[in-house]
Amino acid sequence: MHMKAYHIIFSLLLLTLAACKSEDALENPDNIPGLGGDTWPPGPIDVWINDSLTTPLNVAVKYKWDQGELELNKTLVPPREEKVIPVLSTIKQVWIKNYDLVAGEYFMRKYCPKFFVLVGSASWNPDGTVILGTAEGGRRIVLYDLNGFRTKNMPGYVPEDSATVKEMFHTIEHEFGHILHQNVMYPLEYKRISVGRYTSNWNNVSDEDARRDGFITAYAMSAPDEDFVEMIATMLVEGKQGINHILDNITGNGPNGTTPEQARAILRQKEAMVVKYFADTWKIDFYNLQTRTRASVEALIR
Amino acid sequence: MKRVLLYTMAAFLVLASCSKKDDPVFDESPDVRLNKVLAEYQAALAGAPNGWNAELRTANGSLYHFHFGFNDANRVQMYADFDTLTASVRKESSFRLKALQQPALLFDTYSYVHILADPDATVNGGEFGLGLSSDFEFSLDTLAADSIKLTGRFNGSKMILRKASAQDLQAWQNGQWKNALLFESISALILNYFKRLNVGGKAYEISLNAARREITFTWRDGGGIPRQHTTTYSFSGNNVQLDTPLTDGGTTISTLSNLSWNAGTSSFQVNVNGTQAASIAGAIAPMIPDLNAPTRWWQYMADREYFWTSFFGFHVNGVDDAFKIRSIPGLYALVFVPRFGSEQGVIYDLAAFTSVSGSNLNLLFGAAFRPPVFTTDGRVIFRYFGTLGDVPPEHEEKYINTASLLNSTSGFYLVQTSETSYDMVSATDAKAWITWLR
Repeated sequence: MHMKAYHIIFSLLLLTLAACKSEDALENPDNIPGLGGDTWPPGPIDVWINDSLTTPLNVAVKYKWDQGELELNKTLVPPREEKVIPVLSTIKQVWIKNYDLVAGEYFMRKYCPKFFVLVGSASWNPDGTVILGTAEGGRRIVLYDLNGFRTKNMPGYVPEDSATVKEMFHTIEHEFGHILHQNVMYPLEYKRISVGRYTSNWNNVSDEDARRDGFITAYAMSAPDEDFVEMIATMLVEGKQGINHILDNITGNGPNGTTPEQARAILRQKEAMVVKYFADTWKIDFYNLQTRTRASVEALIR
Repeated sequence: MKRVLLYTMAAFLVLASCSKKDDPVFDESPDVRLNKVLAEYQAALAGAPNGWNAELRTANGSLYHFHFGFNDANRVQMYADFDTLTASVRKESSFRLKALQQPALLFDTYSYVHILADPDATVNGGEFGLGLSSDFEFSLDTLAADSIKLTGRFNGSKMILRKASAQDLQAWQNGQWKNALLFESISALILNYFKRLNVGGKAYEISLNAARREITFTWRDGGGIPRQHTTTYSFSGNNVQLDTPLTDGGTTISTLSNLSWNAGTSSFQVNVNGTQAASIAGAIAPMIPDLNAPTRWWQYMADREYFWTSFFGFHVNGVDDAFKIRSIPGLYALVFVPRFGSEQGVIYDLAAFTSVSGSNLNLLFGAAFRPPVFTTDGRVIFRYFGTLGDVPPEHEEKYINTASLLNSTSGFYLVQTSETSYDMVSATDAKAWITWLR
């Protein structure tokens, strides 16, 4: 008897479940606004990006404002439209083309970050420093301060603008350096060269003082990874002569008591390890890349 | 009994669980409604034949005007009353309507709207990292027949769009707004620090803060008593509109219009309240000097054994950092140290070029001055005493220009511009000045 009662209850329950199957027809997902990203009638900039970057390199560029890609607490502005193509084409010229020439055409297709976000202004930190670029996960690079970008071929160029141009490529080479070492780590000995001298207080140190202590820039003092990629970026953008010039101008002892001779030796050791890392890991002749990159930079500012 | 209870409960369960009523509050899904709202806004924006007049009040409270012409291909053309360029050159950029948490209007490439929000203070005179606290991403609050209300999504500035008439658009195209905006060129065209509005035989000293759209009038009233009036202003067509009119006895000033610059006399012709002819010209001395300012300025740092800081040195004849001191590598600032040291029994002040390492200020080189002379008419006179440190030959000119200007025999007026800052203005012709910060 008990058994039967359970049967009845069980079938009632089944009935309940079946009865409650309430199927609302799914709406056509095409009607969801903004699904799959924003679209707009393509203009000349969109066509250029598609032909020059997306088709050959599978790189997407977001130049229109999208707060979701950026820090939510910062005051930022989108780039001027007239800056987008000049900046992207110089990036192709200085960075992508030179890697293509030195490392073969497949290297960049594989490792080139696939997504660029462009911002018109720099990103100001509360302590007064500015961020000019960030990289994430080997995929995404955010470039700031496009509106300040002016090469010698643009109207209104003054020699001081060369600093912004160099800074832009310094940023790109810096971030790409991160992508390389995030794929294959550099030798751990590098981290031991300046061990104990890395500091979060780097922004209170001038580049001059940092160099006296064996760091190529003040930012290189912030962490070994930054040190490594700052070496890459500075060497590429300043060129061999520029590096020699920087080293020759180290005079006086550093804040940590490093003598100029020691500082120069440390920087030369770091340089050698960067060159070896490129040769061993990526089969890239770094000095060849350096010569070409510096020549491309000079073509923009001299 | 127990079983009956069980069945009854089960039956209730069945009945209750079968309530399939969905009862949506709205008769369409959120996506359908959102698309509809966005389409409505798009139709409204692109459907105004003469575009839209916009009033934007930033979070700082300053009022700016725009004229927008939207189309159906995500492009917008605009004028703005930011400066004479934005008021006369129509600029095209991109916009889009997007479903964020609310339907939103985004100006998504750089346009005149972004100038106000640019974190680079050299663009708009605001603060670094903040700009003028404005927005370019707006939520669409309400859509009426011929107006749209919007609220900035980042700083909360307010914008109202109203359908424009053909005349509204013409007012931009034929240069009326540009003419009014000439008002903000006063500081660039009149080289004197002090400027006066002369109207009906009476003079009012004016000082302008273009970034905050604020103007201060200083004058003596009929009884000779010093008066001051500070108000924000905005532009409308050909007018500069004072938000709070100035009243001086029977005189009221509420608008300035019809500006024109006369290079021959270095002055502006202008109409007050629409009709009364007036002029704005430079002056070489303040109308009401702050007699104690020089001693107050000097004593403040003497008491604290500290220094006044100037990052850009002297502004001379319309040129910022006229002596190019910023081109000295590693320069932190030009600082003024009262009672820096003593030599041959003279306790001297020092105007020092300095650099910074860590938290230390280093003296590069500097000019020493004997104790200053404070005149009864509110000036301070510095008297050169000597040079401290070695001046590298390539910076000699910058040093000598700065030191000899400081040494000028007529001295300087001091104008306190805020609790922590003074402008020190050459009494020779008021065409050179330097800003000291605490």
